[in-house]
Amino acid sequence: MMSVLDESTKTVLIVDDDSTNRMVLHALLAESGFNTIEVENGELAVAAVEENDIDIVLLDVMMPVMDGYDAAKIIKSRQTRFIPIIFLTAMTDDAALARCIEAGGDDFLTKPYKHIILSSKIDSMLRISSLYKNIEDKNKAIEESNFLMQQEMNVSKKLFDKIISNDMRGEKTGLNYSMSPMSMFNGDIILAEKNQTKGLNFLIGDFTGHGLSAAIGAIPVTDVFHSMTQKCFEFTDMLVEANEKLMDLLPTQMFMAAALVSIDRSNNIISVVNSGLPDIYLYRNNKIVRTFKSKNIPLGISRLTSAQFEVEMETLQYGDRLYAATDGVMEATNETGAMYGLERLLDVFEKNTQSAVLFDSILENVAEFCAGAKQTDDITLLEYCHLEKVEYKRDVEYLNEHREPSDWSMQFTLDIKSLRQFDVLPYIMQSVNQLQPLEYGRTSIHTVLTEMFANALDHGVLKLDSSMKATPQGYMDYYNEKQSRLESMQEGHIQVTLQHELHQHGGGRLSMYVTDSGEGYSHTPANQVTKNQYSGRGLKLISSLCTEMKVLGKGNSVVAYYDWEDEA
Amino acid sequence: MSVSINTTDDNRSATIRINGRFDFSLHNDFRKSYKNVNISGGEYVVDLGNTDYLDSSALGMLLLLKEHAESQSSSVRLINFSEDIKEILTIASFDKLFSFG
Repeated sequence: MMSVLDESTKTVLIVDDDSTNRMVLHALLAESGFNTIEVENGELAVAAVEENDIDIVLLDVMMPVMDGYDAAKIIKSRQTRFIPIIFLTAMTDDAALARCIEAGGDDFLTKPYKHIILSSKIDSMLRISSLYKNIEDKNKAIEESNFLMQQEMNVSKKLFDKIISNDMRGEKTGLNYSMSPMSMFNGDIILAEKNQTKGLNFLIGDFTGHGLSAAIGAIPVTDVFHSMTQKCFEFTDMLVEANEKLMDLLPTQMFMAAALVSIDRSNNIISVVNSGLPDIYLYRNNKIVRTFKSKNIPLGISRLTSAQFEVEMETLQYGDRLYAATDGVMEATNETGAMYGLERLLDVFEKNTQSAVLFDSILENVAEFCAGAKQTDDITLLEYCHLEKVEYKRDVEYLNEHREPSDWSMQFTLDIKSLRQFDVLPYIMQSVNQLQPLEYGRTSIHTVLTEMFANALDHGVLKLDSSMKATPQGYMDYYNEKQSRLESMQEGHIQVTLQHELHQHGGGRLSMYVTDSGEGYSHTPANQVTKNQYSGRGLKLISSLCTEMKVLGKGNSVVAYYDWEDEA
Repeated sequence: MSVSINTTDDNRSATIRINGRFDFSLHNDFRKSYKNVNISGGEYVVDLGNTDYLDSSALGMLLLLKEHAESQSSSVRLINFSEDIKEILTIASFDKLFSFG
């Protein structure tokens, strides 16, 4: 009979002022394997429940000192666990029986009762009590594990914030951002670090999903970002590394849309790689002067080499402001389910007359739009203002391996097959860097070589006409044509010569010659390049990045000089 | 059901249609739709003609489908998407990963 319940012996409290009744019940219950405790009134019953581990109470109604009703009320009110009470009474009127239940009794049995009925009722009550206990235990376990989880989350959050936090915000750095996390951990990250030119490198990232799973990917990215900035790596290498880490770590469906920005303060050049973030705007004199569209696959989706990242550059003027946001801004939703959208954002840009308050205006406008609605995504907005003077609270230690400068030169000749097969520039850059760590101008030199090389290949070897690129459609056609010519071309080559000479008074000059097998082509003078032209941007960029640039021979050879000074 | 799949008789192509919002709530339905489909060397077509919104978790789901397709030497093509959806796909440079149209 007891097997449905747990194995332990149950204790029954018998409360009756009649000693015969107590004895009968004791005998009956002992036979069924119960422990019993017997008391003679309500007051003693209340005390017995407090002092002993009672599983069930059999309670008489009419007793001296304290009757059964009062005792039941007190027992039920004081106990947090479920102790079933069965009233045993000689009364038979409905009102009295109803009162037993009202007082807190769980069941009643009228005297005289059959023993088997009493046993069955006790059994049934104990079964209910065991169910209660079960639920109670489970609730307790859930509560405990919730508490532990909350504690662990708090600890992790602190650790996480420590890893991620590197606040470079401030009036003196020009960096400002706002992040509103919709869950404890953020699916968005912003990282910033001072680079060698005393400008900033910063990354704004948005992981698919939010919360812990999204936050996990942020840790290796942060690690790569800081260590590689400190080691002065080319920033596309940083993206390659971060991409690799995320490929290894994240499941297929997860990735990080991100933009990496590098501000070169020596040359006042901004470089942007947009991998899946919404348009990034460069704002000057109350107008958007350049839009950096996403041209790359988000990180963590497919393996990419450094050359596969499309870097966009633009010259900066003091006072220029850059705005980047995660899709949470555009997709912020109001109560009716409508999205904030690009038009509203551009409208804020349009109407703004004071660039100093634009950042706040955007945030206010989004908040106003969403008023009251539940936030569904992380909203992150970043502003960078290009200041004439900057100051950083924290100094970055660059772990650059310093090698004494020397005089050297090297030459590469690439035939059509090499040109067809792979992107050779990263290899050239790597060789240069192994021979002579170009501590101050790596980004500029890379850019200059990239542009010169692209010109030599496109116009010299492949004889493409850059006027084709005047329209967006032409731009596409141009690239398709480039691909097909590259495949069908039978001959042609490009020669790259790099020569480094030390200046007598410190510093040095790197001369970069790029010569192609073509018949020469006309170089648009840099000062004739207009802003709206798709082509020609490259040459303008080259001139702005180096000391001097000259076209040699019949126009199939270009030399660019890059001078560097010893840093005082 | 907001996700449906039709496989052609020759088992060379399967078209998945998504109605309404393509977001995390379709995660299970979307995966289930192609889980037992095997079209070696063929093509999965995702018809977004009746899809009115697509979020980043949907992009993730498309990557899962791509993985599934590639394990069968098949490819994935996205068709009939609206301008808004095209914008989202383009920002993520999905034109480099999937064929469009």
